[in-house]
Amino acid sequence: MIKVRNLRKSFGGLEVIKGVDFEIKKGEVVVIIGPSGSGKSTFLRCLNRLEEPDGGEIIFEGDSITGKDTDINKLREKIGMVFQLFNLFNNLTVLDNITLALRKVKKMSDAEAKQTAAAMLKRIGLENKAGAFPSQLSGGQKQRVAIVRALAMEPDVMLFDEATSALDPEMVGEVLDFMKELCNEGMTIIAVTHEMGFAKEVATRVIFFDEGKIIEENSPKELFENPQNERTKLFLSKVL
Amino acid sequence: MSFDFLPRYYTFYLTGLKMTIILAFFAVIFGLVIGLVFALMKLSHFGLLRGISTAYINFIRGTPLMVQLYISYYGLPALLGLQLPDMFAGVIALAINSGAYVAEIIRAGIQAVDKGQMEAARSLGLTKTQAMTNVIIPQAVKNILPALGNEFIVLTKDSSVASVIGIHELMYNADTVRGNTFLPFSPLIIAAVLYFLLSYVLTKILGRMERRLKAGD
Repeated sequence: MIKVRNLRKSFGGLEVIKGVDFEIKKGEVVVIIGPSGSGKSTFLRCLNRLEEPDGGEIIFEGDSITGKDTDINKLREKIGMVFQLFNLFNNLTVLDNITLALRKVKKMSDAEAKQTAAAMLKRIGLENKAGAFPSQLSGGQKQRVAIVRALAMEPDVMLFDEATSALDPEMVGEVLDFMKELCNEGMTIIAVTHEMGFAKEVATRVIFFDEGKIIEENSPKELFENPQNERTKLFLSKVL
Repeated sequence: MSFDFLPRYYTFYLTGLKMTIILAFFAVIFGLVIGLVFALMKLSHFGLLRGISTAYINFIRGTPLMVQLYISYYGLPALLGLQLPDMFAGVIALAINSGAYVAEIIRAGIQAVDKGQMEAARSLGLTKTQAMTNVIIPQAVKNILPALGNEFIVLTKDSSVASVIGIHELMYNADTVRGNTFLPFSPLIIAAVLYFLLSYVLTKILGRMERRLKAGD
């Protein structure tokens, strides 16, 4: 579904992605782990071009998306993204957070968008919060709304950028459970996370990222129990 | 101090006040539009637009309003080759002056919106313009309203400078009263009280708008 060749990205002379090759197939759940500053979030953000890659190529569903003439907005419809800090639109109600892109991007009618959004909220048990503003929700509720906001667009792949890192400990579970639910439904997922339990449980593949490169990738069982690279071993010894 | 002149001259104040309100109102509206345009230009990716906006803001902030008024009053007719009403020159100069300050207020307000808001909007496939109009600018408005209200009040008071190009607004008419009555001081007190009342009402209206916008938080 997504193929990445020799991806490079620098910030002001500092190279943070140093030639990454990567591929994900439909239905795979790829979890990216690694120390902070290793470039894993930047890599994820390159996939929907929130960060503009400096070199290399990204192929999404057969088309190169790194070209200048790519309609990036069309593409982003198909790539959902969930952020560490939720990024719900503060000026809109929970319902409108979900309907905005449905109306403006998918060109749904108001009624249709509302119906879709209501169904999404029902799914996460927050139908009674439709009229609330993001500031009135708990962190876990915000993140679940952010996830269904992305899901409502019916993306082909979902990117999770440390989706539970900013949550209070007691709220991590509800968000992880929801993410697991999506994995079990066959959603294609790329998740950057520090939740090793999540990686072990649902990942089809785990990637260890360090210093802008993929150091090691394997099934979760192999990678966690039998890491090959010294740096992977060192990292795992610190986090497990 | 005597205010015996008031029964005879109060109409001067009322027409002056009306003129001040008209002058300030149009200057605020046009200033707001000019400010928004230049703020967006300053945030643009195009170096040329940014340069034009920066030059405009620096020039306006670096020259006195009175000089700008005279330039507008004498310069515009020469430039356009036709005689314009005084009021027109006054509104233009005040709006262009205010626009520079409004542009900086709006720019700061837009930049104060968390950049995650834009990223989330773009990640859903919204265009930059859609994200701006639906997500960023509504939040920026809330940020900038206090500073913008302040600017409106400053502009309303600064409109008194327009008396130098002969617009019969409150300050001009207060001066006329001083001349006619040979009273140097007390006619000014009346003008001051009226300016104060005008600013006070404006403060109250803006305060109410701010509270209403806060309701969403």
